[in-house]
Amino acid sequence: MSCNTSVTHLNVSSVDKAQQTPVHLMPCEIEHNGPAKVSQYFAATMKDHKHETTVSFRGRGLKGQELSCPQGYTGLVLKEVNKPGSDQEDRTVKVSSVFNKLTYWNLETPPNSDDTVVMAMDWPELAEAIHGPVEE
Amino acid sequence: MDLSPFEANNSFSCRLASQIPDVCRTEDCCLGVDEAGRGPVLGPMVYGICFCPVSKKEELKDLKVADSKTLTEAEREDLFQKLDEAKSYVGWALQILSPNTISTSMLQRTKYNLNALSHDTAIGLIQYALDSGVQLKEVYVDTVGPADKYEDKLSQRFPGIKVTVRPKADSLFPIVSAASICAKVARDRVVKGWNFAEDLGDVDTEYGSGYPNDPKTKTWLLKYLDPVFGYPQFVRFSWSTAQTLMDSKAVTVHWEDDDEDGEKAAQRKNNRSMLSYFSASTEGNDHNATHQTHRFFTERRLKSLDAL
Repeated sequence: MSCNTSVTHLNVSSVDKAQQTPVHLMPCEIEHNGPAKVSQYFAATMKDHKHETTVSFRGRGLKGQELSCPQGYTGLVLKEVNKPGSDQEDRTVKVSSVFNKLTYWNLETPPNSDDTVVMAMDWPELAEAIHGPVEE
Repeated sequence: MDLSPFEANNSFSCRLASQIPDVCRTEDCCLGVDEAGRGPVLGPMVYGICFCPVSKKEELKDLKVADSKTLTEAEREDLFQKLDEAKSYVGWALQILSPNTISTSMLQRTKYNLNALSHDTAIGLIQYALDSGVQLKEVYVDTVGPADKYEDKLSQRFPGIKVTVRPKADSLFPIVSAASICAKVARDRVVKGWNFAEDLGDVDTEYGSGYPNDPKTKTWLLKYLDPVFGYPQFVRFSWSTAQTLMDSKAVTVHWEDDDEDGEKAAQRKNNRSMLSYFSASTEGNDHNATHQTHRFFTERRLKSLDAL
């Protein structure tokens, strides 16, 4: 871990201009950072069948579930405008899109309330209870 | 043969069947099982059964049904037409295993290989005939694997029915030839008119036979390779031809159940490789940190972020 003194700026003014886009959380690591034909290959082949949302990716069967962002929160997809040359320079990221819900996918297993990402959404409420201002 | 139930959703497997001839519910019947499209990297595999009263075997022979592989596409269509005209005593049923079903089965966490899938499909179709009231007495099956074990398996599964499993049964028994014609006609039609669920615009249909060694198929596979998604569902991802092309031309994808080893994989999985214990690194210091993350966070894979 590097101990640098650089600051990362988030350009919040871009939030209002940002578009809502569908977001998919995949149960695999794809060694790719860049555009992908999600709507043509993935969204186009999603199926709702017997109360189950299914799709396949690279020939593997996935089962999915829509998940809302915690109340009062908005999901942000960030994009770095210009990558700095060194880790001493400040960095700027802008909001490329926003989302209020996402679809997460499990490899073959049906989604359930014990899934990590579902449980992770408990934190904001708990954080509020622990760290929020105490009302007299 | 109405393929529309499959074509409406070609991601899943689908059963199509003729009317059951009345005579098949009252007279002792024979049934043939064969498959089409086992080898190709493209399109579905189709399992077919055909059945008729034992007393009508000679009439079936007179229709001159033969092994579908020795016939041209036009001849097969012609023979299927004849089988359809004989529907007062010949019935058929098909199970279309979509390429997506084949891919996801073979690549499942607990692998479901093509032989097991084939056997289960054949059993399912024979059971369908029984459930429909067909008085089955003889079953003839074509096989690519060892015939004896398969014959034992089917005989145990269907007591009271005489099961004969033979390699090249499609050229030995007319009822198996008839099944192979139904299966091959369906496979040809489905491949020809494949309805791509993906939004790919006009897709080049010059995909050849679909066999991995067909130059046309190879060219098509190179043309339609997407670096992220690999292929449309028309392609069997579990075929080594497709895997090899993706390994060399598409981005790498790691799954939680991958059998990966070595230094790099360990790093990626955040495990410590054995080798790391021999290198003079300071990363071990983290373990002595006074701050230990509560299990609430580790269970949810939540981490505090200090850098992007």
